[in-house]
Amino acid sequence: MDLTAFFQAITSVFPFLPKIYNPVVIDYTTLFTVFCWLIAASISLYFSINNSRIWTSIGIGFFLMFWSQSFQLNPWHETFTIMIAIHFTIGTISILIISHGIQEYYLFTRTLEIAGSKKTIYLGTLLMVLVAILLISINPKPSMYVLRNYRMMNNMVWTFLCILNIYYVVKIYIEMKDSPIANGIICLGVVFVFALIFKASGMYLHMYQWDKAWMNIIEFTGESTDIKLHMAKVETARWLFKTFNVLTSVSVAGTFVYLLRLLR
Amino acid sequence: MFLLPKGNPLAENVPISKLHLPDALEKLKNGKLTGCATFDFPAADCGLVYDEGKLITAIVHRDGTEIKDQTALQALVELMLLASNGVFNVYALPKDIVCAVSALVGGSVLIDNQEIKLIDFKALLERIKTEQMTATLKLYTPERVGLIFYRNGATVGFFHDTSTGIETSAGEVQQIAGLPGARADLRMINDSDGFVLDLAGLIDIRALWESSSGNIFATPITTAGETPQAQPTAAANPPAADLETTIIEIAAQYLGKLGKTLAEKEVLNIGGASALKDPTKMEELVKALEKGAKLLASANKIKDMKDAIAARAA
Repeated sequence: MDLTAFFQAITSVFPFLPKIYNPVVIDYTTLFTVFCWLIAASISLYFSINNSRIWTSIGIGFFLMFWSQSFQLNPWHETFTIMIAIHFTIGTISILIISHGIQEYYLFTRTLEIAGSKKTIYLGTLLMVLVAILLISINPKPSMYVLRNYRMMNNMVWTFLCILNIYYVVKIYIEMKDSPIANGIICLGVVFVFALIFKASGMYLHMYQWDKAWMNIIEFTGESTDIKLHMAKVETARWLFKTFNVLTSVSVAGTFVYLLRLLR
Repeated sequence: MFLLPKGNPLAENVPISKLHLPDALEKLKNGKLTGCATFDFPAADCGLVYDEGKLITAIVHRDGTEIKDQTALQALVELMLLASNGVFNVYALPKDIVCAVSALVGGSVLIDNQEIKLIDFKALLERIKTEQMTATLKLYTPERVGLIFYRNGATVGFFHDTSTGIETSAGEVQQIAGLPGARADLRMINDSDGFVLDLAGLIDIRALWESSSGNIFATPITTAGETPQAQPTAAANPPAADLETTIIEIAAQYLGKLGKTLAEKEVLNIGGASALKDPTKMEELVKALEKGAKLLASANKIKDMKDAIAARAA
């Protein structure tokens, strides 16, 4: 879908916005996945405000994930590479906060204690995001290499924390399998399984320099690549990455709609 | 030396001064405990053996003598009220071990205080096996004690005075048997009928507790006006315990297994069943329950649970 005219119209209405020089083309899959993340973010933000403190951590984490994913709809992201770095870092912070919530949930099922306050979570998250933005801002403008590193960091942190979260979700389910929202917890586990495959396949492509960002880099530098020798593996990883990206966003939206019904 | 096995600890080293015996026993019953509750007093020890919440046997060991079952429960009440200190422990144990422990506590004596070197051990083990005994073999010296548990002739576990849980190998217990002057006891029960008797149903612990505590702490000259005051207290306590049980059941019904544990914990936090009569404490309990319930059930279910508790409390 070509949105160049739409964004050019916006920049003419709001002249303080940077001009659009490159065509803004967003494919339907991206639009759909971001929309799914928006649904999850809206519901999770609602949970974070009007619920137990532990849901606040999980809710804010998923809201930040939407923020991270939404860069794909940002027409200026290619002009301002610093924005891409911020989006990837926020995506990394999001899984840290989600994991914190999941671990606290597990702790609750074992001790039945809920400590801390929502204010601490809100302020802590804000502080982390601001520090991340500050650190990125005071450093040189990220090159394509640096942006690729940010993306790799995001994939790695997500991969390993997803494994940990799956483990904790199973343990939470065992503790509360006869509770009314036990099935919602299972759905959350399914989200982490999909996210694990999505992020792990992305990490795999980065590790072996078979990712799109590396291909773009070597297009200009003229470096060689062994990608043609491993096309079957590359294609499989790319298929997993794309398919589970969609599945993760669909499952996260579905899970939060289901959780909303269970918790209403 | 009096020794009962330790399993999965559910409560450990709880000061006896903080314990209200009838409430504590009610909790073990409602929690369907399979295991042992022990009371360690400075001059006596008491053990209660439970099978799925049924109190199947009780023992008080004092000054080298043993008192059992109903008499033991009466002695326990006295010890609780008179002892200045002591600790209470609860351990969950596998059913097989509980059967063997009930033999140790209340079973018939086959070998009593016999020197090990005079026993034909091979023949004894063969007899346990062929007669499919449910029994406990106690091997001891003045300093050490080891226990071997049998269920229907098969060895189901080992325990000794330095164990922290049921062991699967005989190593340490074998060493105790080899100590100079070691002796043995063998006690068995007829396991074929299963456990049917619930001692708690044969004796009204709450009434015994109330009357005993009344006798001990009452002034020597009891006026006529004081007796009627004591009566309503004794009569009012069972509804508080009933209310606690009801609240726990409601929490379990609306929130599941974790809801039951949550309710038990929050009742303890507000000061036990007796605090439920205080409306402020009751409100505190409902708020605490609601806070935890938000992670277990929907808002509607929580509201229904609160309404159900309010209806029962009214």
